[in-house]
Amino acid sequence: MNIAQATALALALAVAGTLFGRRAWTLYRLLRSGKPAARFDDVRARARAEATVVVGQSKLLQRLLPGLMHAAIFWGFLVLFPTIVIAMTGAVDPRSTLPWLGAQGWYALLVDVFALLVLIGVITALVIRKVQRPARFKGSHLGEADLILALIAGIVTTLLLWHASQIALRLNDYPAPWAPISESLSHVVAPVAPVLERVAVWAHVLIILSFLVYLPYSKHLHILVAAFNVYFGRTRSPGRIEPIDFERPEAEVRFGSARASDMTWKQMLDTMSCTECGRCQDVCPAYATGKALSPKLLIMAMRVPNAVSDDIVWDCVTCGACVRECPVGIEHIDHVIDLRRNLVMVESRFPEEAGTMLRDVDRTSNPWGKPQADRVQWAEGLGVRVLQPGERAPEVLFWVGCAPAFDERARKAAISTAKLMQMAGVDFAILGPREGCTGDPARRMGDEYTFQRLAGENVATLNGAAVKKIVTTCPHCFNTLGKEYSDFGGTYEVVHHTQFLADLVHEGKLAPMPSEQTITYHDSCYLARHNDVRAAPRELVSAVGQAIEMPRNRERTFCCGAGGARMWMEEKRGRPINQERVREAVATGAETLAVACPFCTVMLDDGMRETGAKMQVFDLATLLAEAVERRRALAT
Amino acid sequence: MSVLILTDGSDASRQALTLARRFGDPVHAVHMDAVAPFAPDSLAAILQQVADELNAAAVFAAGTDRGNEVMARLAARAGLPLAANCVAVTPGAPAALTRLRWGGSLLEEARLHSPRPLITVAPHTVSIEEGPEPIDVDVARFVEELDERDLLVRASDHVAPQDGGVSLTTAKVIVSGGRGVGSKEGFAIIEELAGLLGAAVGCSRAVTSAGWRPHSDQVGQTGTKVAPEVYIACGISGATQHMAGLKGAKWILAINSDPQAPLMLNADYTVTGDLKEVVPAITAEIRKRT
Repeated sequence: MNIAQATALALALAVAGTLFGRRAWTLYRLLRSGKPAARFDDVRARARAEATVVVGQSKLLQRLLPGLMHAAIFWGFLVLFPTIVIAMTGAVDPRSTLPWLGAQGWYALLVDVFALLVLIGVITALVIRKVQRPARFKGSHLGEADLILALIAGIVTTLLLWHASQIALRLNDYPAPWAPISESLSHVVAPVAPVLERVAVWAHVLIILSFLVYLPYSKHLHILVAAFNVYFGRTRSPGRIEPIDFERPEAEVRFGSARASDMTWKQMLDTMSCTECGRCQDVCPAYATGKALSPKLLIMAMRVPNAVSDDIVWDCVTCGACVRECPVGIEHIDHVIDLRRNLVMVESRFPEEAGTMLRDVDRTSNPWGKPQADRVQWAEGLGVRVLQPGERAPEVLFWVGCAPAFDERARKAAISTAKLMQMAGVDFAILGPREGCTGDPARRMGDEYTFQRLAGENVATLNGAAVKKIVTTCPHCFNTLGKEYSDFGGTYEVVHHTQFLADLVHEGKLAPMPSEQTITYHDSCYLARHNDVRAAPRELVSAVGQAIEMPRNRERTFCCGAGGARMWMEEKRGRPINQERVREAVATGAETLAVACPFCTVMLDDGMRETGAKMQVFDLATLLAEAVERRRALAT
Repeated sequence: MSVLILTDGSDASRQALTLARRFGDPVHAVHMDAVAPFAPDSLAAILQQVADELNAAAVFAAGTDRGNEVMARLAARAGLPLAANCVAVTPGAPAALTRLRWGGSLLEEARLHSPRPLITVAPHTVSIEEGPEPIDVDVARFVEELDERDLLVRASDHVAPQDGGVSLTTAKVIVSGGRGVGSKEGFAIIEELAGLLGAAVGCSRAVTSAGWRPHSDQVGQTGTKVAPEVYIACGISGATQHMAGLKGAKWILAINSDPQAPLMLNADYTVTGDLKEVVPAITAEIRKRT
């Protein structure tokens, strides 16, 4: 052992360790100061997420080239991790290495291959950033990224050079035959090997230590915290919002976030995990249509005080595209909802026009201020049973929802669904005037108080009628009833009408006759993304016509623009989201645009009118009813 | 306890006075000529100096746009909390207050921990109580010390609203156009009819989305709620979003080429036809008769 080199290494380790430790301690204390979040249960699901999202790189690999690039670097570092210890051992004494592992041929091969893969990964990353320059990097810290890539390149280059010079000097029997790259490099570096061996290993160790110190000050912190952020991600339905507990002592009730210190520790971890890759920005409908919101810039802005304007907060449609895309488990919607909760419940500051909706939901239990008595109007002459107080619910309760009950266009889906259930002999009833708004628009606006009042009333009605199974045509009601009411004592089997009708077709209780018409199906965010309902609607499409997919489909669908209570706000910034989606639908050349959500129906039908497109917008229930009629007409 | 009133004699400041009386009997007042042009920081500075000099227990102002702005600036200067939009206050430590929240849909009971409660009173919520006798005004001269910076923020110009047409909210008659009007220029016939009837011009969301009319003309859920005697809807299909703004209309006349349009089904009178023919015909008929 060389005393001077050992002392130097000890000194370097102490300095780097202190600098890193101080910063890490600060960040840890910051996290501990965060508000509570229940993210410790369900260890199995968390381990599964860790295995697929972190180890398996599943979200990154959704984009092939950048995904492979990242996977090469990430997996490379997993493989190369022990070489840090090997290099430090070698820095002190060129003749010693890690016992056992340092002499393994297979490991030398792995190191060689993965060092090269990392290098290729870094070059690919630079090509993506410098040549391809995708828009998703707009607003990210680009200089930081370049420095980080340079450091990574430095780490693997010095590693290869060190191995090569070790082989050239025949030091500690490096298993050269197993290391083809280092072996061939060794011939090139042979003349300078005695010097290079020391220079390379020390450069290697010092770059790694500098990297360690730089990490917690940079966006590259993600390599330390992203794995934790994924582990602590939500395991229950992504569409479910964490309720506020109004029963707690007043001082402990958290009315959303007004400042950084109001965030939960998970939200703080989100801000530390973001490495500014911009995948969220790339899929965000608000950003795509020129609005103030970019989910990436929002998370970056949460790191500093007073950087989020109201416009940013209100632009969000809560479609969840960002959350679904994020490789490091950031939950953008939670941030938006908390900011809205503060704006609505503490500051009373929200887009003026949405105030009408909040008032009407509160006073008349529907967003348009219609009389509750009119809730059964749509069913006039259909012979639908209205469940009376005191009566027990039949097998299926048809939860109609406000839009299908009151909106002329959305109503057709309710009528078709009721008729189809009657044809199939389903024993069902509606609540009529006793059905209230689920509170979804109020909740997504940040008015948690009104939401919980409505939830309490609806749960009392549903439990009072001993409801077991609910069918609904509205994905927002579907999400709220099925995924959120269990927090308030209401647990039911909630089925979307597309699932229920697809089952009836399967069982042979409905016999549709497909036609030649071409249909493209628009996935509702609250079905396809928040609740994984993607197959049943497609079965229905195939049962009634010829399916054509839009480019953005299934879990990567593009919002109609109505979610997150945007239905009740004016779209004053940027271009209309609904028209963007309508153009995509029209471009498929399909004759019909099928939908499975009353809000999508209204938004996309408006979009067709606004753009002058001739495509028809129909709910799948209406298309199915026609197809069943077609078969009947043929039979008679 | 005595109450000092800075008043410009407006109804708003008299409302603030009514609420302020709960803190004590008014004994003297300072008439304050509004600083013109409006400079909120200068008013906040004056308020702070007067409050400090007289050791005021609380400061009240009318919860108007100006009142809230001045009080917010005072709060920031003094480092004290401001309770805006209050409808009732009980003095004490802490002061108990009731205030309007969430766009007026909720009454909040709150306690205000502050050595000097700063309170604005929600407009039109406290009725003006006439004092039993004219308040004996003890005019105290007060020389304010204003800094250049206190005048930095000030109203520099007044611009009267354009056109000065009939307002949608108060109009007896509204002539409203939808997508069926076809273009920005197409509104000429709507405007002509409205002019003749002394009516306001309205439109649907589709029209503002298309940029044919400003958002201030939009009738509906996310636009203006209207309550005219007569609402003439030309080429408007009648989406729920639009109908939600019409609940107050007494009579609805709909002109549309589609007799099945929701607005046609909900109207009191309907004309099935092309509005580009029907509207000019109505205009011509009215001209003939007048």
